[in-house]
Amino acid sequence: MISLAGRDILHSWGKFVFTGIGLGLLIGVTLVMAGVYRGMVDDGKALLDNSGADLWVVQKDTLGPYAESSSLNDDIYRGVLAMPGVLRAANVTYLTMQVRKGGHDVRAMVVGIAPGKIGITPGWPPYLVAGRQMTRGHYEAVADIATGFALGERIQIRRNTFTVVGLTRRMVSSSGDPMIFIALKDAQEAQFLKDNDAIWQSRRRTEANPAFNRPSVPGLLDAVIASQSSNAFVNAVLVTLEPGHAADEVAESIRRWKRLTVYTRAQMEDILVGKLIASSAKQIAMFLVILAFVSAAIVAFIIYTLTMDKIREIAVLKLIGTRNRTIAAMILQQALALGVIGFVVGKITATYAAPLFPKYVLLVPADSIAGFVAVLLICVLSSIIAIRMALKVDPAEAIGG
Amino acid sequence: MKSLFPSGRTLGLLAVLVPLLALFIYVGLRSGPLAPVAVTLTTVESRAITPALFGIGTVEARYTYNIGPTQAGRIKYLDVHVGDWVKAGQVLGEMEPVDLDDRVRSQEFAYRRAEAALREAEARQAYAQSQARRYEQLLPARLASEEAVATRRQELQIANAALSAAREDLSRARSDRDALVAQRSNLRLIAPADGVIAVRDADPGTTMVAGQSVVEIIDPTSLWVNVRFDQISALGLASGLSAHVVLRSREGAALQGRVLRIEPKADVVTEEMLAKVVFDVMPQPLPPVGELAEVTIDLRELASAPVIPNAAIRRNGGKAGVWRIADGALSFTPITLGASDLHGHVQVLGGLEAGDQVVLYSEKALATHSRIHVVERIAGVAP
Amino acid sequence: MRGKGIRIEGLKKRYGTGDTAVDALKGVDMQVAPGEVVGLIGPSGSGKSTLLKCLGAVIDPTAGRMTLGDEVIFDDGWKVRDLRALRRDKIGFVFQAPYLIPFLDVIDNVALLPMLAGVPNAEARQHALDLLVALDVQHRAKAMPSQLSGGEQQRVAIARGLVNRPPVILADEPTAPLDSERAMAVIRILNDMARKYETAIIVVTHDEKIIPTFKRIYHIRDGVTFEEAGEGRAL
Repeated sequence: MISLAGRDILHSWGKFVFTGIGLGLLIGVTLVMAGVYRGMVDDGKALLDNSGADLWVVQKDTLGPYAESSSLNDDIYRGVLAMPGVLRAANVTYLTMQVRKGGHDVRAMVVGIAPGKIGITPGWPPYLVAGRQMTRGHYEAVADIATGFALGERIQIRRNTFTVVGLTRRMVSSSGDPMIFIALKDAQEAQFLKDNDAIWQSRRRTEANPAFNRPSVPGLLDAVIASQSSNAFVNAVLVTLEPGHAADEVAESIRRWKRLTVYTRAQMEDILVGKLIASSAKQIAMFLVILAFVSAAIVAFIIYTLTMDKIREIAVLKLIGTRNRTIAAMILQQALALGVIGFVVGKITATYAAPLFPKYVLLVPADSIAGFVAVLLICVLSSIIAIRMALKVDPAEAIGG
Repeated sequence: MKSLFPSGRTLGLLAVLVPLLALFIYVGLRSGPLAPVAVTLTTVESRAITPALFGIGTVEARYTYNIGPTQAGRIKYLDVHVGDWVKAGQVLGEMEPVDLDDRVRSQEFAYRRAEAALREAEARQAYAQSQARRYEQLLPARLASEEAVATRRQELQIANAALSAAREDLSRARSDRDALVAQRSNLRLIAPADGVIAVRDADPGTTMVAGQSVVEIIDPTSLWVNVRFDQISALGLASGLSAHVVLRSREGAALQGRVLRIEPKADVVTEEMLAKVVFDVMPQPLPPVGELAEVTIDLRELASAPVIPNAAIRRNGGKAGVWRIADGALSFTPITLGASDLHGHVQVLGGLEAGDQVVLYSEKALATHSRIHVVERIAGVAP
Repeated sequence: MRGKGIRIEGLKKRYGTGDTAVDALKGVDMQVAPGEVVGLIGPSGSGKSTLLKCLGAVIDPTAGRMTLGDEVIFDDGWKVRDLRALRRDKIGFVFQAPYLIPFLDVIDNVALLPMLAGVPNAEARQHALDLLVALDVQHRAKAMPSQLSGGEQQRVAIARGLVNRPPVILADEPTAPLDSERAMAVIRILNDMARKYETAIIVVTHDEKIIPTFKRIYHIRDGVTFEEAGEGRAL
């Protein structure tokens, strides 16, 4: 048996390979697109993984702390800690802001982590790629490598300067902003004491208020200002569970007795994937569909053109008695070969292009396999037109009459 | 015959496809979730560490004097300004006396009047005494009736009483006058100790209520740092330990000091312990009160023990531990942690021996089945 | 079976229906014995192409009977079910232009049909090589069609037409693009092959150079054939 498709490819392999590479770039874009979506989902999951929590205790009736703002008093964790089944509870704050270093600034999510034992206190970065974890209670930061900060650099978060002592990787917020971990107290201050001008103005406003500035009550103004410039709020309490306790039960008891909203890991994932990135995901899905159509159209066009180039030969083949099956197989095999080359090129391109994207692009093998199947399917479908064309060719055409 | 000798075309196609395929397989295995995780290793060392505590605080003056009137009034004059050095006893200013002088004068007259009343009472008493004596002499001679004598004696007793009343009156008038004079002199604002004016809250003409401060004097030689240490990491904090103080305005220059005392009361809300740190040598120029200071306190050096960098500590199944490499296999070893220093070294009390190889940094979170790939440095980290 | 060659009787072909119907063939009779080479000559519009297509089993005639060997192909509207298999097994084609498959080398062009039919490649190629030897183009066996001269291409096309040992070969203007010397060579080959493989060969042509070589010639005009003895000039 002879493979007509193989021989044709062999004969004009340059054209074929380059067409395949062109198609591959398109498939690469499609794969990257899927990777962008996976990256977004993974960003959300990384956020949850990295927090190391089993439960998230947030302000009542909010979707906090990631999808909605949430504010809790920072002593609530003590009560949570006393609930049965709770192993550890730690305050945490999240604030997305610009972090300055020298002349430029980086958008980052500043995470305030509660002091505690390294490795078991939820909220701490679970692993580093360089440097060390924080040891001082103030003015040290562990930054994600995506911020571009290096060990030992001094960065400015609101009013204070922090020294980068450690670097992490893949510690990102759900929107992909790199995280910077600082001590909880510093973070609370950063959330509240925005800048010196604001503090001055707020102080002056308080002074101008006759209710607070009463000559007959010396010290009242100072007390009011002091109470105004401290921040006893955090965004969430991260909870880890004692072994043998079901997350849902503990969550329910905290909900019931502490009258707070509690999310389990599954619910949190739901919120992040289902609510936070839902519209972006749909956007990307739209693009994927469009790209799939474009790819299909292009593959169909290429196959069609390749077939039309051979229409005379196909007529001869038919005239001399080649079976339809053989001709269809030739076209189909070429389409599939084109798809395979395109996929291989696409996969390679996507892999090498992925790190160049500003946001995380995660190429999942399952996606690649699905993509491969889709490419083959598209190739099969698009070769149908060409096959129909070929089968309609009148063998009489070869006789020139 | 054909298959034995591939043509140039076949070779050309193979030259393109084979590398492409090889690259594809490489890409499939070496990137994405199937790729091995790059890690760096470290060896557990046995060494001594010097734990240290880190806290922040503010420069405060140990002695602060708030000078103000003891009763409501208006400031008459105030001669000192912020930054002025004052001596103990120096008059800084005075409150407006208003009617106090008049009242002192009035008391003066009241006193004199009491003196006059006393003199009158004395005169009456002298007369009553002589009358009583005369009638008592007349009684044996029956020249005066018993009744008249009794009358004279009674009159004498009344005069005696009136005299002592007048004396007490005089004393009262004197005290009243003295009280007003004392009050009058209390209107002066006087420095209780040597120091420097830190705050001047009001200017002449301002009406103050009792207790409101007009100026604040601090004793600059008594500056100390009120340091807050998180309770979690305050183990070993004790008075007498040496401390390094870095003032916010003088970053990079550590000043030597020592812990003066640990406050018996901790801050309930912020969960911090408070301590006072004094400077060994007072920095010059003096730091302003309220300046932020970072304080590092060195604790005693600990005996040698297995030590790992804190970056090696990972969490797995709710336990802290490390990923140990033994015979090329990765396994999670729960460990008990001891003291740590500020450079990120942590003592391992149990679970590891010196010389064990553990994962220090990794590109991703590790799991038991993770394939690893040991590197010198994780990609992307500047050397 | 080979003894009977090809025979057609009263073959008619009508294109279209009703008023616009055109009768391209109005009753053609023809018979070619195995080993015989006959010429088919006719001006344009004479129905020559239609006849060729009917002979080639590419189109089916409206009426009439056609027999190939002892197999009836068409009989008054009835036709063999698988015309394509018939073409593959029973009819060899040689065209004005050789129409070789450009992406196959010479030997595979010739061996293509048996290979597609499942004959082992080596065997099919050996057989093809034998044909190429017979046609004296074996030295170009590994060349691509585009590298061949016109005469060589035509010889390869003949080899391809012969590869299945068909009882009939239809040659449509096989010499048109060739100079007279090469045209004569092709005709010689066709005659040789007809003899060697006992094949009936019908050569459609209007090439004055080669017409004298036929022993028998069919003229076609207005859909009707006339038989005529040719000069049968020695080659």
